[in-house]
Amino acid sequence: MNPTLAKHSRSATTAGRRAEPLRHLIEHVAHQLPAQGPITAFIHHNTLHAFQALPFEQAVVKGAATFGCHPYLPEARYRTMLEQGRIRAADIEATLIDDLGDRADALLGLLGTRFHLYMAMLEHPLRTGPTEELRWVMAETDALRKFFKTVAPGVRDRVVQDTRRWIMRDLTDGAVAREEDQRAKILVDAVFDTFDKPHIEQWDTDTWEAFSLHLLWLVCRDGVRGADISWKPPSMPIRHRDVLLDATGEDSDQPVHDLLIRFCAAFLDQGFAQCSLPDRDDGFYRSFVNLYRQSAGPPDRWRRGLRDELRRIENRALSPLESIAESLSLLGVGYDEDEEFIAHTLLALRGYAGMIWQLETRGDRAARPVPPGSLIEFLAVRLILDRLALAAVAYEVLGYRGPLDGLRGFARERAGLRETSGVEQRTFLVFQLAQVVGWKPESLYRLSPVAWSMLLAELESFSGLERRRIYHLAFERRYRIQTLDAVAAHCRQINSGGSAAGERCTGNAVGDDGPSNDDHDRTDATETCAAPCIPLFQVICCLDEREESFRRHLEEVAPDCETLSTAGFFAVAMYYRGAADAYYTPLCPVIIKPRHYVCEDVVYTFKEADKLRRKRRRTIGTVTHRVHVGSRTFAGGWLAAVLGSMASIPLVMRILFPRATAQLRRRFGGFVRTPSVTQLQLERTESAPGPDKGHVGYRVEEMAAIVQRVLCDVGVTRTISRLVIVCGHGSSSLNNPHESAHDCGACGGGRGGPNARAFAHMANDPRVRHILLMGGLSIPDETVFVGGYHNTCDDNMTYYDLDRLPSTHKDDFARASAALDEARQRSAHERCRRFESAELRLSTEAALRHVEGRAEDLSQVRPEYGHATNALCFVGRREWSRGLFLDRRAFLQSYDPAQDDENLTILTRILQAVFPVCAGINLEYYFSYVDPTGYGCGTKLPHNIVSLLGVMNGAASDLRPGLPWQMVEIHEPVRLLFVIETTVAAMLWIMERNEGIAELVRGNWVQLATLDPATSEIQWFRNGRFECYYPETGDLPQVTSSIDWYRGWREHLGFASLKRNTAMAESMGSG
Amino acid sequence: MDTDTIFHVLGICVVVCPAALLGALGLRAIVGRPLGEESINRCTYASIMVGLTAAVAILGMMLVFGTRHVAIELGDWVVIPQQHFHFHLKFVFDRLSVPFVILSYLLCGTVGAFTSRYLHREPGYGRFYVSYAFFTLGMVITSLAGTIEVLFFGWELVGLSSALLVAFFQERTAPVRNGLRVWSVYRLADAAFLIAAVALHHMTGAGDFDRLMGSGSWPERVASLTPRQALFVGLLLLVAAAGKSALVPLSGWLPRAMEGPTPSSAIFYGALSVHLGAFLLLRVSPILELSIWLSAAVVGVGLVTALFAAITARVQTDIKSALAYASLTQVGLIVAEIGLGLRYIALIHILGHACLRTLQLLRAPTLLHDYHTLENAIGGHLHHQQGIWARVIPAPARLWCYRFAMERGYLDGLLDECVAHPFLRVFRWCDAAERRWTDFLSGGRSRESDAVEVHAEVVEELRL
Repeated sequence: MNPTLAKHSRSATTAGRRAEPLRHLIEHVAHQLPAQGPITAFIHHNTLHAFQALPFEQAVVKGAATFGCHPYLPEARYRTMLEQGRIRAADIEATLIDDLGDRADALLGLLGTRFHLYMAMLEHPLRTGPTEELRWVMAETDALRKFFKTVAPGVRDRVVQDTRRWIMRDLTDGAVAREEDQRAKILVDAVFDTFDKPHIEQWDTDTWEAFSLHLLWLVCRDGVRGADISWKPPSMPIRHRDVLLDATGEDSDQPVHDLLIRFCAAFLDQGFAQCSLPDRDDGFYRSFVNLYRQSAGPPDRWRRGLRDELRRIENRALSPLESIAESLSLLGVGYDEDEEFIAHTLLALRGYAGMIWQLETRGDRAARPVPPGSLIEFLAVRLILDRLALAAVAYEVLGYRGPLDGLRGFARERAGLRETSGVEQRTFLVFQLAQVVGWKPESLYRLSPVAWSMLLAELESFSGLERRRIYHLAFERRYRIQTLDAVAAHCRQINSGGSAAGERCTGNAVGDDGPSNDDHDRTDATETCAAPCIPLFQVICCLDEREESFRRHLEEVAPDCETLSTAGFFAVAMYYRGAADAYYTPLCPVIIKPRHYVCEDVVYTFKEADKLRRKRRRTIGTVTHRVHVGSRTFAGGWLAAVLGSMASIPLVMRILFPRATAQLRRRFGGFVRTPSVTQLQLERTESAPGPDKGHVGYRVEEMAAIVQRVLCDVGVTRTISRLVIVCGHGSSSLNNPHESAHDCGACGGGRGGPNARAFAHMANDPRVRHILLMGGLSIPDETVFVGGYHNTCDDNMTYYDLDRLPSTHKDDFARASAALDEARQRSAHERCRRFESAELRLSTEAALRHVEGRAEDLSQVRPEYGHATNALCFVGRREWSRGLFLDRRAFLQSYDPAQDDENLTILTRILQAVFPVCAGINLEYYFSYVDPTGYGCGTKLPHNIVSLLGVMNGAASDLRPGLPWQMVEIHEPVRLLFVIETTVAAMLWIMERNEGIAELVRGNWVQLATLDPATSEIQWFRNGRFECYYPETGDLPQVTSSIDWYRGWREHLGFASLKRNTAMAESMGSG
Repeated sequence: MDTDTIFHVLGICVVVCPAALLGALGLRAIVGRPLGEESINRCTYASIMVGLTAAVAILGMMLVFGTRHVAIELGDWVVIPQQHFHFHLKFVFDRLSVPFVILSYLLCGTVGAFTSRYLHREPGYGRFYVSYAFFTLGMVITSLAGTIEVLFFGWELVGLSSALLVAFFQERTAPVRNGLRVWSVYRLADAAFLIAAVALHHMTGAGDFDRLMGSGSWPERVASLTPRQALFVGLLLLVAAAGKSALVPLSGWLPRAMEGPTPSSAIFYGALSVHLGAFLLLRVSPILELSIWLSAAVVGVGLVTALFAAITARVQTDIKSALAYASLTQVGLIVAEIGLGLRYIALIHILGHACLRTLQLLRAPTLLHDYHTLENAIGGHLHHQQGIWARVIPAPARLWCYRFAMERGYLDGLLDECVAHPFLRVFRWCDAAERRWTDFLSGGRSRESDAVEVHAEVVEELRL
């Protein structure tokens, strides 16, 4: 041990000098760690946020290199899409031409243009594999006897014929031996060895086919061998563990992670374990040292030195940073390697490292944050453990006992330079291409070495990664063209007056019977539409793409209504506490830190009842908690277990009859539930907002500002109906750790009902209206706002404060809520088409029952599909998208350019919120879909909730951030396409002034187009500037209702225009 | 039809149902035409329902007619007269096996229904249900076994399917590694069981429990062994039970088994297979009575396990490990009860505990939701009371206890050091000796496989 000790003393002197810069370095590297906080408030964000400053296409490649994850889907998946028509050959051609630019037409010797070569490589699946595998394929399959099945028979016959001609002419015994055929002769003779040469004239076509292929293979190999290719050695792994793994197959991380996962989970625990980690508050490093420096420790071989090591470190009073510096020098990591080495070391257990960093920097989001500096301490401990594990593995497997700084060199030497010449792979590539393109052995043989080198360089520069990129761009192109064509066509139809849109102003007189208007009246109404006319009622939803179907059905059911949408927190950024809640939770986008507090109280009449029920709740809660914890202990568990047979009743009931059980529980749950009549404490008396008495709520002026903002955003300042329903949304499901990811993104993973309620309350306040009137915004006296909440999982609707509804509006509300009921039922029906376990022929009622059952089902891993399939974001008036079937794929934000000022105040603030939120959702789905186990958290089935803040796979694994496969499985990974109703100049103006938006747009993280609905002219952003878009087709399928379009179909659906059919809408609306 | 015939028909029905399910699922998969999700569900539902109904009918008839012991004989399947061996297929319905088989059916059925939605669209759907059918068959056979060979047969089926389901997600390394660990511990237990079975044969001439435990119906039987024999056989059976029920010192595998889909963890390690060791001890409980040392050993192992698991459970931070150790606490208590001769209490304890734990494990992913609800009901953060132990034990000892619990009693490390490593060393030594010998004989390097490189070449396509 002497050399090690000497080492220690030497390294300690350098440690001090090295330590300080390390802090900076670690904090810099930490931004590559997953940025997901505790799972209880799931916030969607760009998975590759760390690389967002780079353009998308570079960032995904960098992400692939850093995290070892896929940048795009596998090539085979795109090829399947090509077969299904989701990508067309024309898309690939156009994308390729676009991508290659001038380089497309370059001639590559005999082999045609670069464009044709690349197209051939895209069209046919090119396989590759390790050398041994390729040799096996050549020897054991009929790769050398039969052409690939994909090869056209004509091509095959021509190649065989020409080969035959060449052989018979130049290379059989009678031929004149020419200088340049010398090598060919050798090759052919090698082939003849396995064929019946004497009877060459009697060979049948199969023999000739096999012969041609043998020859082709040899010619290719000959060419590849002769070519001058610069062989790039693969980059050497930097971590000792990776070097050792390559050399021996032993993973030194495995024992380290076993211990570290357990310890990190205990350190981060938010209150699950009954005993928390001793000395947790002293930090990661301290508590680890305290725990493991005691005697009589674990017997595991690799940890035998741990106690002494920790005691040594403690005696020398090394700080965590000094310990890191010491470990680095002991491991022989050079100064220039520091950053890369630390990055890889942190990324090895990136889930926990990221969570430590999150709790350290965003402690406000957790119940028990961790002290600052925890990530550094984590790294210090990790490196100590790494050293021990490396030494143990190196000794056990390699017999290496020397100092660790020599380990990498030693292991590399032992592994030998396991380099591959790549000849087989390259040969196989050319061999495949030659078959599908029809290159003849003779012409390949006559290629000069220079030409071969050029060919191979071409093939290499169009690697699998590049092909996937082209495929992906083609896939996005197809959907973009479909969308823009549909939008343009739909706008044209509306302008020519032939669609369901533009119908919003049929109710020419408020209080008219609305739905009973006949067609004749309607035409009149359309004509009088020049003047603003008032819809029967209005619904303001969240911009969430899941509300698209809900709104579309509502407009079909009640053609006289108008639907609008904005971010679902309705500008009410607050900490909210419900009557039955224990704490305040933030309800607003994560970028906003709310200042205001709002809480819900039970009305005075029910105070006593509430007190009683609260007490009952507390009793039951305490008992449940005792049982929950007690059943896991010694004596309590005994009692619980002996009585446990009772558990079989809820067990069987809940699993076999989830919906009925839930109803039963609701019926009997009444005696503990909060009384349903409650009110919000919304108005503040003190000046400063805060959670204390008197400080809760808003001042009237603040309320007025909120109401003004939302009404201006959605553009209803002149046409406010008698009844406006403001509808927040959220989702509730069982057995779903990712429940919060289904909630409203604009409420920061919370449920937006209280926001809608608060907003309605504010807008109904006469004082607010008075202030607004002063500012020039007039809300008619007869207008009533009603707050509502839409549960996107079971499609339930709840309304708030209905007891305050004036009796004059009872009928209006009854009519509106009937229409909403029908709409949510139909929306549930439309959702069911994507659920394989729901039959396609369900009625709408049965569909509603089905989704209700899903939400209550313990065994359901797909309560809803969340944001899956999101692909579009429309910002503009509803008029031009109304009646367009968008298949629940579009975020819709209402915006009326006519009401914006010259500084584009409204559009700017809308886009400032919409861009990061929607792009974040879209990109998170993109990455979790293209690599479900790398960027996503894999399948839900083995998930195990740990420390109340995340999930692991099975018994113990790294924390898994990202989305589970069951949430994204129907997603289609395309970058979000924004279609914004504004001018190019305005959009550029906004991009210039908003760094965040410009970064997303210019980095191609999103796609962007602007629209002028009056002329249906579209400009799209491409290569850094806007270009005019010319639609490919003007056709848009016409259907009478949504259901006619989606009925009987589970897969993706294209766009369609809904024809106006009032008769049907009415009959269904009333029925 | 007389009562005996009805018993016979129903009894066969109980055994044949899971076997038929296994045949239906397994054979179709073998011939390359696996069933779809719908058909699998229907088959499972039908076979479980028929089997459960038959089992309940038997219980009813036994209650009505006051029968306490029904034996279903299916004859000798293998007879080796020279060795005095016969494989006698016999199933017994008595007060122990009937509740246990009904419990197995009930929980398997519930979990089957749960899984049909939980695993919907999962590529391994069919694979899961084949293992599930194996497991159900194994449980039914084990519960009803009338001879020790039959019990061993069922026991093996359960072990095999458990290990396969731990490694259900075979594309990741952790499940496969942990599956292998479970399998190795099971083999250890099986070896002990097998030796015990052979010894019993040797001592009594047959594996029938009737012959072994004397006549009479469970639990009032008297075994016909000498105390010394009983101690020997009993200790072997205790090792077998310890492996299957994760008793100390073989506890390390239980939390590691939580790798499969949630329902399989629930039914195997929370409910059924973890109780199998206790069931075995219950089945052979007349032997335990013969030797006070044996009883003491059983009580000791049970209590130590319970104590160890209770301490360890307190520090677990993930729900599945916490439930695994909670299960183990109760299994330890059950074993102690058996050692004390409290057989009915042990049986009731097993039934109740299995139901409770299944429900808790199936609900495990709802933990966050439940905590939120509880916090709202109580109106504040959930606090854990510090037990008296925290106040009594001095701080350094507490720290030591915490590490002991967090390291799960060092049991894995001990097994590795005391069993796996010596084992490896012996075999490596043998290997080296063999190599030297063959090298000497061939006068050069005799092993071609030494020259083969581990092939770890990565092609670009595969890397990304």
